[in-house]
Amino acid sequence: MSRFFKAGSDSESETESSEDDEIIQQRPSAAPVQSRTFQFSDDEDDSRRIVRSAKDKRFDEMTNIIQQMKNHKQIKDMANVLNDFEALIKAADKAKKVIQEEGVPRFFIRCLFDLEEYANECWEDKEWRKSISKNNSKSFTSLRQKLKKYIREKYEKEVNDYKENPDHGDDDKRDETPAPQDEESEDEVDTPVKAPVKPKLPAPPVIKKQLPKSMDDDDDDDDDIDWDSSDDSVESDIDDEQFDTGKLTAEYFLKKSDSGTSKKEKKRKEPKQMKLEETDEEGDWEEVKGGAPLIMERPKMFGKDQEINVDAVLKKLYEITSARGKKGTDRNEQIELLKELREIAETNNLGLGIDVKLYFNIIGAIFDYNPNTLTSMRNDVWESCLSYLQTLLNILIDHPEVNVGEHIKEDDENLTEAPLYVRGCFLTLVEKMDEEFTKMLQSCDAHSTEYVERLQDERQVCDILEKTLRYLEIKGTTLEISRIYLKRIEHLYYKFDTSCVYTGDNEPKKEGTSEQTMDKLCKFLYTSETPDRLRTRAILCHIYHHALHNRWFQARDLMLMSHLQDNIGHSDIPTQLLYNRTLVQLGLCAFRQGNIRDAHNALVDIQSSNRAKELLAQGLLPNRQNERTPEQEKIEKRRLFPYHMHINLELLECVYLVSAMLLEIPFMAAHEMDVRRRMISKNFHHVMKMSERQTLIGPPESMREHVVAASKSMKTGDWKACKNFIINDKMNAKVWDLFFQPDKVRDMITVKIQEESLRTYLFTYSNVYDTLSLHTLAEMFELDMSVVHRIISKMIINEELMASLAEPTQTVIMHRTEPSRLQSLALQLSDKFLTLVENNERILEVKQGIYPFQNKRDRNDRQPGTSAAFQHHTQGEGYGPPTSKSVTNNQHWNRRNNKNYSRESRNY
Amino acid sequence: MATRKQRAPVQYVQLDGLVVLKLIKHCQEEGAGGTDLVQGVLLGLVVDNRLEITNCFPFPRHSEDQEDFNEVQYQMEMMRNLRHVNIDHLHVGWYQSTYFGTFINRPLIDSQYNYQDSIEESVVLIYDPLKTTQGFLSVKAYRLTPAMMKFHSENDFTTENITKHGMTFDKMFEEIPVVTKNSHLVNSLLCNLEEKDKEADKFNFLDLATSSMLQKNLRQLMECVDATTMDINKYLNCQRQIMRQQQAKQQYLQKRQQDNAMRAQRGEPPLPEEDLNKLFKPLQSPPRLDCLLYSGQIDNYCQQISSFSTQSLGKLFMAESLQNDGQSN
Repeated sequence: MSRFFKAGSDSESETESSEDDEIIQQRPSAAPVQSRTFQFSDDEDDSRRIVRSAKDKRFDEMTNIIQQMKNHKQIKDMANVLNDFEALIKAADKAKKVIQEEGVPRFFIRCLFDLEEYANECWEDKEWRKSISKNNSKSFTSLRQKLKKYIREKYEKEVNDYKENPDHGDDDKRDETPAPQDEESEDEVDTPVKAPVKPKLPAPPVIKKQLPKSMDDDDDDDDDIDWDSSDDSVESDIDDEQFDTGKLTAEYFLKKSDSGTSKKEKKRKEPKQMKLEETDEEGDWEEVKGGAPLIMERPKMFGKDQEINVDAVLKKLYEITSARGKKGTDRNEQIELLKELREIAETNNLGLGIDVKLYFNIIGAIFDYNPNTLTSMRNDVWESCLSYLQTLLNILIDHPEVNVGEHIKEDDENLTEAPLYVRGCFLTLVEKMDEEFTKMLQSCDAHSTEYVERLQDERQVCDILEKTLRYLEIKGTTLEISRIYLKRIEHLYYKFDTSCVYTGDNEPKKEGTSEQTMDKLCKFLYTSETPDRLRTRAILCHIYHHALHNRWFQARDLMLMSHLQDNIGHSDIPTQLLYNRTLVQLGLCAFRQGNIRDAHNALVDIQSSNRAKELLAQGLLPNRQNERTPEQEKIEKRRLFPYHMHINLELLECVYLVSAMLLEIPFMAAHEMDVRRRMISKNFHHVMKMSERQTLIGPPESMREHVVAASKSMKTGDWKACKNFIINDKMNAKVWDLFFQPDKVRDMITVKIQEESLRTYLFTYSNVYDTLSLHTLAEMFELDMSVVHRIISKMIINEELMASLAEPTQTVIMHRTEPSRLQSLALQLSDKFLTLVENNERILEVKQGIYPFQNKRDRNDRQPGTSAAFQHHTQGEGYGPPTSKSVTNNQHWNRRNNKNYSRESRNY
Repeated sequence: MATRKQRAPVQYVQLDGLVVLKLIKHCQEEGAGGTDLVQGVLLGLVVDNRLEITNCFPFPRHSEDQEDFNEVQYQMEMMRNLRHVNIDHLHVGWYQSTYFGTFINRPLIDSQYNYQDSIEESVVLIYDPLKTTQGFLSVKAYRLTPAMMKFHSENDFTTENITKHGMTFDKMFEEIPVVTKNSHLVNSLLCNLEEKDKEADKFNFLDLATSSMLQKNLRQLMECVDATTMDINKYLNCQRQIMRQQQAKQQYLQKRQQDNAMRAQRGEPPLPEEDLNKLFKPLQSPPRLDCLLYSGQIDNYCQQISSFSTQSLGKLFMAESLQNDGQSN
C-alpha cells in the first residue's frame, strides 16, 4: 500500500492505493498546494504567450479557469468550483488538438490531481460537510463524482504518473519556474484578501476558529484560518524547497500535506502558541510522516489569553447551540462541548446564572441526543441525565434567588446580578425525563434483569419529581404546580400501599400514606384552574388508587360524580387508556367487596371484545382484518404501559367470568322458558358454548375450564362442587392469591356461590316440590336460616318464585303457577303464528294494493281468531285483545291463578 | 315396463312382515334410537292394483374414509345376489326413517321424483321409530302426485308456475294405504308367540306420559313456523322491491311520453325506444318450493299432534274412569 511499492503495480491498483493513501492522510493541507499550482500556472501565462500562440491560447484559457477555481476552492464555494471544473473540461476538449500534438499539459494534470486531493480532503472533513448548505453539498458531491469519472476515463495514467513522479512526465520549464515564485505570488494573492477579512471580525478570531463548520459565514472563518496559516506555510514551503527545489515529487506532496495537516491541527488548538514555537513544530512535521490517521482532537474553547467572561461564554454557548438540530451536528460532541464549557465557566467562577443556563443546555442536549423518538436513551446517557437533573434541581432549590421559567425572554435574562433570571423550564425537562424513563422501560424485556435495573431508577425519578414539586410549590405558577402534581400522581396511583387499607375500624389512621398524598394532590387539581385533561387524568388516577385500596364507595362515587363515562370518548387516547385501566380496577375492587353486579358491569365492556390486552395498552394483538401500518404500530407501541403497571389479565378474566357465572346461571334458570333469551354476558355464553363443543371434557386445567366446570355444577345447584372448582390450589395460585387478603375474597366468593346456587336450585327444581322446608334448604346450602329466608323472600317479592312462606312450619309452599313447559311452548308457538299471520297479511296488502284490514277494529276482531285456540287453551277465558308479548300473558295468567290459589287455600 | 305404465295406478301397498321387521331392525341398529336417519331400498312387484313389497335392504352407512364407495354398484350387486337366491329383485321404491315426522323436505322430494321418474310405481315408506316404541307401528307409504311430478319436472318453482299448476302444500303427496300381510306360517307363529307374551308388553300403547312427546312436537313445529316466517319475509321483501320497480318504471314511461309529446310539438322526432328490461331488470322472485314444503311439514305436524292428542285424551279418560272405579271400590 505504501507509495514505495507503487511503481511496480499496474495502473488499477495504483489508483486504489492512491485512494487509500488519500484516505489515510486525512487532511492534506489544501491551501499551500493549491496556491502553488495556481501560482506557477499564472506565472507561466506571461512567459508562454509570446512563443506559441495557438497552443498558448488554449492553455491560457485553461489556466484562467484553473485560477478561478483556485479562488473558489479557497472559500470552499463548491457550486462555483463545480462550474469551473466543467468549464475546464470544456476547455480541455477544445484544446484536444493541441493536447494531441503537445501531450497533456502538465499544469492541467496537476490541476486535476490537486482538485482530486482537495475533493478528498473535503470529503474527509465530515463536520464541514454536514455544516455546509444544501446547495453546496450537492455541488460538492457531484463535483467529486464527475472528477473521479473524468480522471478515470481520460487521464488516469497521466495523473498517476504525475502522482508518482511529477517531473518525469514533462520537463517543461513551467514546473520549475513557479516554485521559487511561489511565496511571493501567494503573498500577493493573500494580502488583499486578508486585509478586508480581518477587520471584519469583531470578536477575537480564535473563538470562532474551533467552529469552522457552522454555516455559510464559516467561509470567512476558513479564510481566516488559511490566512493565519499562510505565514507558516510560506516558511514551510521554503524549507521544503530547499531540499528539492522545483521538483515536485510525490514525497514532497505527501510530506507537505502531512505537515499541513498537523499544522492545521496544532494551529487550531493553539494558534497563538504555535506562532511562537514555529521552529519546534517544523521538527514535528518531519516525524508525522506517512499520513498516519490523525485523531481529531477537540479544539480548546478559548484562547489562552482570552478573557473568559459571561459574554464570551454566552457567545460560545450560542455558537454551540446554534448548531443544534442541524444535519451535520455531532450530538455527542455537542454534549461534550457544553460540558466543557460549563467546566470552564465554573473554574472561572462566572456565577450561578451561567451555571444554571449551561445546565439547562446540557440536559437539553442530552435529550436531543437521540434523534429517533422511538428508541430509548442509552443507559449511561440516562444516568448522566439523571445526575445532571439532580444537580440542577439542587442548585435551584438551594438558591431561591434564581428565577427560571419559559416566560423569561432571551433578552431579559439576567445572569449576573442578584435576582437572576434564566430562561428555561425545569418542569419541561422533568416531564421529558419521565417520558424517557417510560420509553426505556418499554424498550427492555419485561422479564429481564435489565428491566429491574431500570425500574430501580424509578426511585430516583420519584425523588426528582418530589423535589421539583416542592420547588415549584414555592416558585411555580398554578399551571406548573398542576403539571408536576399530575406527574407525581401518575407515579403514585398504581402503587399498592398496604398501610392504606383499613384492617379494622378502631385502628388509627396513619399519617403520610399514599392515600393522603393522593388526596392532597388530586384535590388541588380539582379546585385549581387546570386544563380539563389534567383534571380528568387526576380523577382517573384517584379513582384507580381508591379502587386499588378497596375503597369501593369513594371510587364509585368519584367515578359517577365525574360523569366521565359520558365524555371520555372525546378525550385523547392515553386518557382513554387510563380510563379503561381505572374501570377495570374499579371492577376488581367491586368484586373484592362482593358487589358482583357492579364488577360485571365494569368489566363487561373490556372483556366482551376479547381485546382486553389492547384496551389496557398492555400489548399489541395481531390485527386480523386490517394490518397496521408500521407507523401505526409504532404509535401504539409507544402507548403501551410499562410492565410493572400492568393489570393481570388472567385475574381480570377470571373475575369477570366468575361474576358473570354468579349472575348468569340463576338468570338462565329463571328464564329458561323465555322466547327470546337475553343474555347478561355474551362472553360467558361464548365460553360455555366452546366447552360444550368439545367432544371430550376432561378435568379442568385452565382457569376458564375451571369456571365452566363450576358453572355446570352450579346449574344443578351443586354448590359444593362449584366452590371446589372455583376455589382450589390451582385457582389460588393462578388467580386468588394475587389479591390482597385473598382469604377474604375467597370467603366472599364461597358465600356468593352458596346463595346463587340456592337461587338456581329453586328456579330449576321448584316445579318438583309442593313444599320445601327452610331447614332443609339451609342445611343443603350450609347457609343460615335467616339468609335462606332472606333470599326466598326476595325472590317472592320480585315475582321470580311463585311461592309463599309458611312461618309456623318454616316451609316454602309452591304455588305451581308457572306455566308448564308445554304451556309456555304453546304460548311461544302462538306468538310465532301471530307474526306469521301478520306477515302473510302484509303480502296480501302488497298484492292487492288496497288495505282491506287496515282499520284497527278489523285487526282486533281478527286477532283472537287466529290465536284463540292457544289463548283459550292457556288462559281458560278470553279477555281483551291479546298482547303479543308472552311475558304479559304469563303475568296475567299467573295473577289469575294466584287468586284462584288463594281462594282455594281459604276454602281449605 | 311399457305394459306396467298403462296399468291403473297402485291402489294400496302390501307390506310383507319381513320388510317391517327388517326396517325396524335397521333403524334400531343404525339409527341411534331414531335420531339419525336411515335409508334403504324396497324390492317387490306390482300385482294388479297393489304394490307388493316383499323384501328390502339397507343402504350401507359409509363413513367418510370410504369416499370411493359406489352406491349404485352396491345396489346392483345386492339385487343380483338376491336374485340368485330367488327373491324379488325389482326395485319398487325406498324407505326412510323419520324423527317426529320430519320428512317433508327438499332431498326427499328430489329423490322421490327421481324414483318415480324412472320407476313409475315406486313409493317411499316413512317409518317413525319413536311412535313404534310407544306401541303404534307407524309405516306410511307416500307418492308424489302426478301434478307434483309435472310441476317438479319443469323445475320452475316461481309463484306463477305454482298458480299455473294449482299447487298447494296438500297436493304434493298422496298417501297410499299400507296393508301388512304375512304368510300363514308366520301368522300361526305369531299366534303361538302371543300366548307367551307377558301382559305388560301388550299394553305399552297405554302410556300416559304425553308432555314430552307434545313438547318435542311443538318445538319442531316452532322451528318450521320460524322457517316459514323467514321465507314469507323474503317473499315480502321481494314483493316490495317489485312494487318499487314498477313505480319507477311507470314514472319513467310517463316522463318518456311527456318528452315525446313535447318533441312532437316542436316537430322533433320522438326519442328512440329503449329496452325497458335493460333499464329495469326483472327481479328474480324467490323460489316458493321451500315455502310449500314447510307448509306441508307444518300440516303434517299438526295432524300428528291432533291425532296424538286425540289418542292421549282417550287414554286419559280411560285412565280416569279406571281410577274412579278403583277408588269407589
